[in-house]
Amino acid sequence: MIERAFHISPEELPEKEVWFAMGYKDSVPEQRVRDMVRELIDQLVPKATLRYMYQIVDAEKLSPRQVRFSDKTFTPEGIICSYLKGMTHALLFIGSAGWEFDQAKEELKAGDDIVADFIADSIGTVLAEMTVSQIEKDYDGSGTLSMPYSPGYCDWDIREQRLLFSLFPEKPCGVILSESSLMTPEKSVSGFFALGETLQRQPYHCQICKNTRCYKRRNG
Amino acid sequence: MDKLYEAIFKGMAPLAKTAVQEALDNDKSPQTIIDESMIPAMEAIGQEFESGRVFVPNLLLSARAMKSALDILKPRMMAEQTTTLGTVVIGTVKGDLHDIGKNLVASMLEGRGFKVINLGTDVSKERFIEAAKENNADIICLSALLTTTMDYMKDIVDAVRAEGLDIKIMVGGAPLSQEFADGIGADGYSSNANEAVMVAKKLLS
Repeated sequence: MIERAFHISPEELPEKEVWFAMGYKDSVPEQRVRDMVRELIDQLVPKATLRYMYQIVDAEKLSPRQVRFSDKTFTPEGIICSYLKGMTHALLFIGSAGWEFDQAKEELKAGDDIVADFIADSIGTVLAEMTVSQIEKDYDGSGTLSMPYSPGYCDWDIREQRLLFSLFPEKPCGVILSESSLMTPEKSVSGFFALGETLQRQPYHCQICKNTRCYKRRNG
Repeated sequence: MDKLYEAIFKGMAPLAKTAVQEALDNDKSPQTIIDESMIPAMEAIGQEFESGRVFVPNLLLSARAMKSALDILKPRMMAEQTTTLGTVVIGTVKGDLHDIGKNLVASMLEGRGFKVINLGTDVSKERFIEAAKENNADIICLSALLTTTMDYMKDIVDAVRAEGLDIKIMVGGAPLSQEFADGIGADGYSSNANEAVMVAKKLLS
């Protein structure tokens, strides 16, 4: 089990990713919105301690819908399982923008500024995703890593997050899972990368998924 | 285009404050100011959003400007008789703490002439019913972002119906659909904040 914490400077946070999280997709926000984003990045990012934890376990695809990680059977369903041919191991992870960021976001909320709240929320989303990118950079083992997959996405029932958490120590990275599978701090992520010598890394799943009604869809 | 309309449409809160004060100084009543400048501006930015010409932050900026102006009008509104389109009780359902989308819907409803009681997040069915009764609500708006919490919406719908309350119920949130809303017996569903206002207006027409 590997656990790390790290900080980033405001300059390291890609503004374009924040714009994307705010719904701009390929468009560029007007100057005043860009200024607000920059100001909030400068204000919030120095307060954040990003944390992640991961482990590599034996894994196999059991059926078109199911996989085994360690001694537990998961049901990520067909969309995700279709990308797991050749998986022999899985890198299970939990990452978080951290309690410090959550607290800074809450303090901001007291200002009753709905625009700032929205931008801060988007910054948190990007910070949480950066922990997953950092895990990917950390990995120096052999074989190919798949894209990351998470409960709650691509038809994978979010309730399986509880099963995933059962493979980690209590409160991994300080993250608490509620009865309704809500992670606190709110800006946290969990999931897995498939690993395998013959595994082929597929494009980002929305680009090849035909489920156009999915609420998490990132394109088209 | 008047200055207040422009300030709200463009989401310029300081300008909206100045403009609303000027309108009051010129003896315009709060109701006239709201009806002739503020609501039309919010409707216009809503239409821009619907047509894809502006983004969520533009709606938020306009809602923030609208709120700044309303804060100045509120003391006068309490002294004078002002009308609203109806009263809405809104909240994120029990087990769920997501509030960005719900707050946007609340701001848009307020900006378009509804009285809004925002109960926050993690709200139980008992609290929704209590607030609806206290405020003589016309609509209850339920929000959820998790597939694990959206099912609680049915409990709330059933509890409201069991109380025999004549209140419309609207639902929204990323994982929901019209089919889901129909399935739990909700009166309305919207996929975004601007549409929520249109649905609310339709339900009370």
